[in-house]
Amino acid sequence: MRSKTRNAIITLISLWVIVFGGVPLLLLLITSFLKQHPDDFLSLSFSLKSYYQLVDPVYGEVMFRSVRQAGLTTLLCLIVGYPFAWITCRLQSRYRLAVLILMMIPFLTNSLIRTYAVRILLGTNGLINRSLLFLGLVDTPIKIMYTDLAVTLGLVYLMLPFMVLPLYANLEKFDYRLVEVSRDLGAGPIYTFRTVVWPLTLPGIIAGCIMVFVPTMGLFYVATLLGGARDLLVGNLIHQQFLISRNWPQGSALSVVLILMMILMLGFYGLVLLRLTKRREVV
Amino acid sequence: MITKFIAWALPAIIMLLPVSISAAEKVYVYNWTEYIPEAVLQQFTKETKIKVIYTTYDSNETMYAKLKLVRGEGYDVVFPSTYFVNKMSREGMLQPLDHSLIPNIGELDSAVLDKEFDPGNVYSVPYMWGSTGIAVNTDIIDAALVTSWRDLWSSEYKGQLLLQDDMREVFHMALKINGHSSNTRDPKEIEAAYNLLKELMPNVLLFNSDSPRLPYLAGEVNVGMIWNGEAWMAQQENKAITYVYPSEGANFWIDSFVVPKGANNVENAHKFIAFMLRPDIAKMCVEENGFATPVTTALPLIDEDVRRSRTIFPSAEIISRGEFQTDVGEALVIYQKYWEKLRSGQ
Amino acid sequence: MKKSHLFYLTIIFIYLYVPIAVLGINAFNLNRYGLRWDGFTFKWFVAMVENPGLMEAARNSFIVAISSASLATILGALGAIGIYLYRFKGRFILRGSLLTMMMIPDIIFAIALLVLFLICGISLGFWSLLLAHTTFCLPFTVVTVLARLHGFDPYLLDAAKDLGASESQVLRRIIIPLLLPALIASWLLCFTLSLDDVIVSSFVTGPSFDVLPLKIFSMVKVGVKPEVNALATIMVLISIVLVVISQYLIKERKQ
Repeated sequence: MRSKTRNAIITLISLWVIVFGGVPLLLLLITSFLKQHPDDFLSLSFSLKSYYQLVDPVYGEVMFRSVRQAGLTTLLCLIVGYPFAWITCRLQSRYRLAVLILMMIPFLTNSLIRTYAVRILLGTNGLINRSLLFLGLVDTPIKIMYTDLAVTLGLVYLMLPFMVLPLYANLEKFDYRLVEVSRDLGAGPIYTFRTVVWPLTLPGIIAGCIMVFVPTMGLFYVATLLGGARDLLVGNLIHQQFLISRNWPQGSALSVVLILMMILMLGFYGLVLLRLTKRREVV
Repeated sequence: MITKFIAWALPAIIMLLPVSISAAEKVYVYNWTEYIPEAVLQQFTKETKIKVIYTTYDSNETMYAKLKLVRGEGYDVVFPSTYFVNKMSREGMLQPLDHSLIPNIGELDSAVLDKEFDPGNVYSVPYMWGSTGIAVNTDIIDAALVTSWRDLWSSEYKGQLLLQDDMREVFHMALKINGHSSNTRDPKEIEAAYNLLKELMPNVLLFNSDSPRLPYLAGEVNVGMIWNGEAWMAQQENKAITYVYPSEGANFWIDSFVVPKGANNVENAHKFIAFMLRPDIAKMCVEENGFATPVTTALPLIDEDVRRSRTIFPSAEIISRGEFQTDVGEALVIYQKYWEKLRSGQ
Repeated sequence: MKKSHLFYLTIIFIYLYVPIAVLGINAFNLNRYGLRWDGFTFKWFVAMVENPGLMEAARNSFIVAISSASLATILGALGAIGIYLYRFKGRFILRGSLLTMMMIPDIIFAIALLVLFLICGISLGFWSLLLAHTTFCLPFTVVTVLARLHGFDPYLLDAAKDLGASESQVLRRIIIPLLLPALIASWLLCFTLSLDDVIVSSFVTGPSFDVLPLKIFSMVKVGVKPEVNALATIMVLISIVLVVISQYLIKERKQ
């Protein structure tokens, strides 16, 4: 089937991916090996300095903090989102649609606006503190704003739909009869969950985790708005180096390391998935 | 296929048309946040029919990087601080101003003209000048306890301070405490300042240079750094917020109008500058922003209490205790290195 | 429905909607800081509309969102169709690349494109933003359309070919109409992603083209701005309208 249409389509999409996807990333890699120019952006001379400087424990700390923040957010989203998706799947179909739509609306609302909304609640004079004071649960307002807690709360708030939607897509296909069969055979709920539900829903869980973890690593503005730009995360650091310190090689090197980390993690998830499917074939 | 493409692309094209057709007179102003009252901009457009496209930045470094990125094209008027005027003119990023188009230069305070960062005011004309000092919410904290930069280091204020997100200003504090010049180029002195600042970090709650008065007004922060103008604006809403000139010396700076080399609307840029330097306009800026204006003919027009405010117009003694920022040349890279370490570490 | 289930759902929805609701209420609150209710007013909406910078940024954002969503949907649909239908060398590489693109955090994409634009001398403004948004929306479109394609009956296409339809006719008459729900879903997704984007925009847009997220970001960096409350309320309303419309369209198609 060699027609003009087919060739045109393939060429068009391939070209776009290469030019705007592959080439920039390649350029980024190259940039990380260049030297910083005092007045301009890049000077075309080879240097390993950017990678050398990454050895400084300061960068390790930033990475660690970012991974910890993203990981915590992902975990919380999973804990909150899994039951939500499960319950939604068990609903009758007309309620299900309503629930999904209600979940979609915040998802489609601008994330900046939602972060701003969270900020209003968390302030010293915000709704949460004033409710707590009113109810007499605390004597003085608790400081939430500009702390790590605020950033985590904000991130979970933003990313929850990203966890729920893949989970839901996966759980929808789940055959609840398997659970009933397991119960009939005398298994308790925990055992059922561990051996029946968990393995079959794992692909959805992994998809959800990836959908939350990856963007969270780069979401620097939430940390700025809710965390007071105090402790820099990877996203902030890259932003700073590119748009403020103008140390493009350094920023690129940091990004390359970030990409490598992502690839490692995704590779790990891919392996887990592979082993799962093999096991399922046996079953 | 084609029809589908057109059906979807057409609306986009139609919406793009207004963008290209509206060839109204424009001027692109790139400025610090909340530095020009909205009313002033509207009056400018009303009088000259020139539309003002206004974007903001919160630090000199951000402004500089952005300008480098767009190769100076696209912005017509920018407001760098003293040492950045040096830096940018040295690197050929600015174009000389046409003084014939700015008649009221003669009305400016000679004390802020012809300074070493721009002899003869070839590239810049001062807009406003001010200082960076300490803000205290006297409802919560006794003002007598906070009179020097050193006081901010007290363990009493753990996790409570607001600091400007500005490298030179933060370093100014430590350098002054150590008895060094805020414009030093000595790597040892800068390193000593860095070590002192590391001790301050646990006290910092947040860094911000956008509208530093808002966290004070919201009650999130009760003590920390602030620009005098922001403190003035805060005072209008909450009398308890006071501005303190620290005993080691406040940081003084001048922000000037410049026109980048690649500017597209040079004539409109000059019209804008001339407009802003009019005494009646300068008066509006001072009364709203709380910074001092170099326009001498504006002073008699300003409200009595505003003119008397020490926050806006400090005494000569306070000024001499403080220090004006100037260029540090190549040493800027050393500052940047330590600043990044400071902000990344815990 | 079990009581515990209902309880859980309600709690989650409260968590999701209270912040937005507070925003919506304060948009009509006379009191600037939303600390107490001072009275009902429309004045923040008026202030919002009268803010020329805000309106211009909003218009710019919509133009880019519509254009990039359309472009990404078209390209993505074509790409998905190509990958699904045709066996060609590099098919898996292409598919893999698209999936990889989805995995890379926005910020890295943004700076990579910035480097590209700088080296090619593309000036930053509408076009750079359009290219950037289309590129990062592309993988989402492809994945969405591919998912729909996998539910296809391949015999349908063979039947059409046997009846003498040409390549492009098959495309136009059969595939695209059947794909419409996926196309609509992709367009909506891309539109939202583009309108929402802070990260990429902060790197690749220029002085001549200010966009809404950046404008809002600089306005809210430290505090409450009532005009933003008004804007936020409107944006939530727009989201609601979009979701309802899309559900309606998809339902229609199903019939």
